[in-house]
Amino acid sequence: MFEIRSRISRVILQVMITVLVLPFVVPLVVMVQVSFSGAGWGNYKAVTEVPFFLYFFRNSGLIALGVIAISYALTMMGAYGFSKLRIRGREFFFWMIMGALTLPEVVLIAPLFPTFSKLGLYDTFWAVIIPVSALQVPFTLLLTRTFVDGIPNDLLEAARIDGCGSIRTFWNVIIPLSRPMAAAIIVLVFINAWNAYLLPLAFLQNAEHEVVTQLPQYFRSQYSDDQTKQLAGAVLTALPEVIAYIGLQKFFERGMAAGAIK
Amino acid sequence: MNAQRHQSRSSELVGLAKVPARPSRVQLAPHGYLWIFPAFALCVGVIYYCVGYSVYISTLSWDGLSSYQQDVGLENYQKLFADPLFWSSLWHTVVFFVVVFTLQTLLGIVFAAILHSKVKLAVIYKVLIFLPVVIAPAIMAPVHRNVLSKDGALNSILSSLGLGDFTRSWLADTSTSLWAIIGVQIWSSAGVAFILFFAAMSQVDLETLEAARIDGAGNVRTLLYIVMPEVKGTVIALAVLNAMAALRLFDFPYLLTRGGPVYSSEFPGVFIYREYAAAHAGYSSAASVVLLVIALGASVLMTMRHRRSLRAEQGR
Repeated sequence: MFEIRSRISRVILQVMITVLVLPFVVPLVVMVQVSFSGAGWGNYKAVTEVPFFLYFFRNSGLIALGVIAISYALTMMGAYGFSKLRIRGREFFFWMIMGALTLPEVVLIAPLFPTFSKLGLYDTFWAVIIPVSALQVPFTLLLTRTFVDGIPNDLLEAARIDGCGSIRTFWNVIIPLSRPMAAAIIVLVFINAWNAYLLPLAFLQNAEHEVVTQLPQYFRSQYSDDQTKQLAGAVLTALPEVIAYIGLQKFFERGMAAGAIK
Repeated sequence: MNAQRHQSRSSELVGLAKVPARPSRVQLAPHGYLWIFPAFALCVGVIYYCVGYSVYISTLSWDGLSSYQQDVGLENYQKLFADPLFWSSLWHTVVFFVVVFTLQTLLGIVFAAILHSKVKLAVIYKVLIFLPVVIAPAIMAPVHRNVLSKDGALNSILSSLGLGDFTRSWLADTSTSLWAIIGVQIWSSAGVAFILFFAAMSQVDLETLEAARIDGAGNVRTLLYIVMPEVKGTVIALAVLNAMAALRLFDFPYLLTRGGPVYSSEFPGVFIYREYAAAHAGYSSAASVVLLVIALGASVLMTMRHRRSLRAEQGR
């Protein structure tokens, strides 16, 4: 977009971006470097010997899957309803959901703790999946409703004339046409669910139920403050995300940029 | 409405030869209540239940667990409003929001503009800027503790640049802990701003750019007068995202400083969690309710803003 003609200014620009990007690289370099200092690979071995090591990943995966499934289904249905169907007081209902847009998750802990205990959900994955989904849906619904608003009504009318009820219209028109949005939502929700720290900390107790974000902290309480093993743990838990991002770059960037898609 | 019904009936009578009046969508669309019910039940159920319950707990003296609860009326609120720690946590949130939002916007625009200028290896820069966004704050926290510690990477870089006088234990110093957390947040979220601006800038009309260039505008003036007005919407979107992040902030301050030292990096999230963990559920919930009122106000403002900008867009 910007035309850089002279060779010198091209070099200056290249140097400038390199200098600006360096601070972003330093922590990542430190992360890998420190994780190998001292015992070298031994640090990684120690991390993999943490009891239930693989469970951390499995649990985060299960929670992310649950949150994605619930958020996706509810978002698509809600967006269709709010955007294209007849609802008296539509904006009122919409605003009630949007009230939760900025809700800080920490306020959920005091009320949900006794509730989940009573319902027998405490220390189950549902205790994380339900509140995390409830916090994701307002934002994804806001984005998706705007997206579905852009689907021409003529298309829905044509489907109706062809005899599609609302279920078939949803399945055969709305879902396929919203696919680009869906990819963005799934990535966004995946990142937020996989990265969740506070709610698992509060509602999961058993060592078998812990999630990836708790793994690096394991060596902080256990062996006072063993930095090399903490960072080895950080590398191991960050790796799946880094690989997923590099493999699906476009989707991740689009997912995080979803806020700008109007 | 009557007229419309009349019209459609008359066109029915005339038959299909004439172009039938199109019935309005609202009249024919099926009911949508069942479609929005699941999302409504989950969000409104969980959230408003929690809000209501929090309001109730906030009038109690309760440890959050036992069956012993004592009704203390508004005592928790009186105590809260007299608590300088709570006020300073709110103040830190404001500072955090303003500084992070400003620097993130600047960095985002600069990165996006440079990477739109055909520099070499652009993909690599892009990945490096965006990677911090993807990795969980809780996973990066031990790394930042290490980088910012007394003999960490930041201090050795400063020393090698001849700035040895500035070295310190960044997270353990009351004058720098808040700034260290702000810096860490900028590190981990500048990629979002960059991606947003990068996407917005690729929407800028190429013909306008060409025209500006023919009129003799240089790159800086093109950026300021042609590109900037086009990405205004992105700045607003960033403000929304940052407000959400500031109100929800927990992971970094909790894991990096626990709000300390001497509460110099206290945030409402850490305050509420600490009071709750210290078995002051009533007091903690009073703080939750105040934070909720602020968050709710912010959401109303944002939703209004969003709908209005949409309407403006449609009217265009």
